[in-house]
Amino acid sequence: MAQVPPPGSVVVADWHRCKDSKEYFSKILHKKRRRNFGLLESPVMPPNVAVDTVHYKIFISGKTGVGKTTLAARLAGLNIPNMHYETTGIETTVVYWPVKLRESGRVLFFRLQLWDCGENALRRFDHLLPSCKEQVDAVLFLFSFTDRTSFDDLSNQIAKWTGTCASRVVKLVVGTKFDLFMHCDVAERDVRDFQETWGLPVLRMGGEVSDGLGDVSPLLNCLAENLWYQDCVAAGSSSYHSQQETGTLY
Amino acid sequence: MMLQGGSTQLLCLTASSGVPLFTRGASKQLPFSVIGSLNGVHMFGGGQGVSLSSCETEGGGKVVWRVFQDSVMLIAVTGGGQGGAGSSKEEEVRLQRLLENVWNCMVLVLGQDELANVRNVERLKRDLRSCISLIDQLLEERQEGILGNLTHCADSLLPPNPSLLQQAVDGFAQSADSEFGCLMVHGRIAAATEKWWRLAPQEVVLLSALMRSLSASGSASCDYPVFLPQGSPTVAHRLLRFQLLPGADVCVLCGPTPSLHRAESGLVVRFWTPLVETLRDCLAVGERCLPGSVSLRPAVLALLLINREARRSVSCVRCPTHHPPGDPPLPSKARCWELMKLFYIFSTTRYFTQEESVCLTPEERAQGGNTEDFILGFSHQPLQCYLVTEECKSFGLQTPQHQLFLLTPLSVPTFALRTVATQTLSDVVTATGF
Repeated sequence: MAQVPPPGSVVVADWHRCKDSKEYFSKILHKKRRRNFGLLESPVMPPNVAVDTVHYKIFISGKTGVGKTTLAARLAGLNIPNMHYETTGIETTVVYWPVKLRESGRVLFFRLQLWDCGENALRRFDHLLPSCKEQVDAVLFLFSFTDRTSFDDLSNQIAKWTGTCASRVVKLVVGTKFDLFMHCDVAERDVRDFQETWGLPVLRMGGEVSDGLGDVSPLLNCLAENLWYQDCVAAGSSSYHSQQETGTLY
Repeated sequence: MMLQGGSTQLLCLTASSGVPLFTRGASKQLPFSVIGSLNGVHMFGGGQGVSLSSCETEGGGKVVWRVFQDSVMLIAVTGGGQGGAGSSKEEEVRLQRLLENVWNCMVLVLGQDELANVRNVERLKRDLRSCISLIDQLLEERQEGILGNLTHCADSLLPPNPSLLQQAVDGFAQSADSEFGCLMVHGRIAAATEKWWRLAPQEVVLLSALMRSLSASGSASCDYPVFLPQGSPTVAHRLLRFQLLPGADVCVLCGPTPSLHRAESGLVVRFWTPLVETLRDCLAVGERCLPGSVSLRPAVLALLLINREARRSVSCVRCPTHHPPGDPPLPSKARCWELMKLFYIFSTTRYFTQEESVCLTPEERAQGGNTEDFILGFSHQPLQCYLVTEECKSFGLQTPQHQLFLLTPLSVPTFALRTVATQTLSDVVTATGF
């Protein structure tokens, strides 16, 4: 099982609340709302404060109706669709997120591209899932707190991501519609048991969308942390392996 | 009159057994018994050797039926329309067009096979949910200023630097192993490959509608399977869409390659980064849809220009900068769009009928000439028409190449309408080559 870093150990948690983050976060905001960049543009810092951007591909997995498209929109600060329409193909959303590394104090822009595809479409067209899996860095397994079957289905979904390649993929579980406690179908105890069994962090999303970054920062920081940690582990182990294999190099 | 989106209801049933598949539209749905009766009366007609296509109610409502591929029946119902008999033909045209668009939309998403051979009704019902978003868009006509669903001509925007953009679209499509590529700005086509324009008009319009809804979501890129209703109804293509800048999207129709990831990281940046400024100039054209090189006469309140051969249209509504206080008030922007649509339907159903009834290919039309006249018995084709109402004046003219529909304020003298129209047509065509 992949190692999960303790929260806040790799990146500074809730950095958006610190004063020194303002100049970075201002680059992803436009009049208090998140700026939509398009593929040809990206946040640019002044030359004296140059910041590297790291790119990651994240796939959002989950049954129909759990809130994949809504989650992507929410993380990017885009308008949330108010009706549920099935996603009939792959839709990707780009989120830029400034992060400060705890150890070095270095600031990075994480460019997170979220890949979202409807369950029905994945079933009908078999080229879509391989396209989603191609060079993916992380998978978010979604379930809805108001839909028990989506929670029970998690093990099914996680099972599809096994094997040596998949072990390098960051896996997080996200429970949506957490605010609808009147219709809650998944108890806290079930979530705890699940976490113990699978060793995967479970995050929660839900509630009114605020203009601020507070409701998305826990998930984005957790994701950034796990991705960066995974990259460090991979870099560390690959240098270890290359030392081991010196004898077999041409 | 017609554009009370909320009061048009759309029903979809299986043709063979009348099982309801979905209902969209009005907030208050028709009761199941009424739906059953509507189906029943159509079936009764069928049994008597009669194909029921439309009917009117005493209250001015209208019902239109159409069966597609002997498999799916679509019924459109509108309630309480105003206006007398004069309006009913226009309403019927609009509703028939709606049914055709909805069917094409269903084929686009699901493919003809699944719709023509209904084996499992429950599965079809579930799969049809994927079409709902586009169908709602067709019903509600959310974006004003988009007339393609009605005219079956692609809404276009004429950029200030067309050749640069054309080169980029052609090159980009080719690099993506495709001959079909299109650049859309503010929901309208700014440039497209030749093969894109050769797609059936209904396909171009529907793909534009799909692009608009994808663009509205703010997503960065998409990989959508689509079945072209006329060109490829049983074999899916992939529609790859990329948001270059907010408001400017490029798309290509591909086969199995390239993958979305590779196209995005390898091709998009390479082809389009050098053109960021050009794209910004294009975005600056805005809702006017015409480059700065075209100056419109002050008398022009709204215009719709159609290139008949290419099946393309350019349209805009202007808010005149200075309006004399003594003059009658101008209709609002939204009302101008409504009036334009009404006038288009009015003109094409009464005067410029050649367009809709006879579907000729461009080659046939080119060599048609005398043969056509002979077949039609040398009927005279109206060239111009005008209409004066309490809200505005309208003028329509048709040439072999173009159709122009113009709205002017009431203050413009009626005898001047023809000049305004012919001059405007000449101005736009000379400046842009449309």
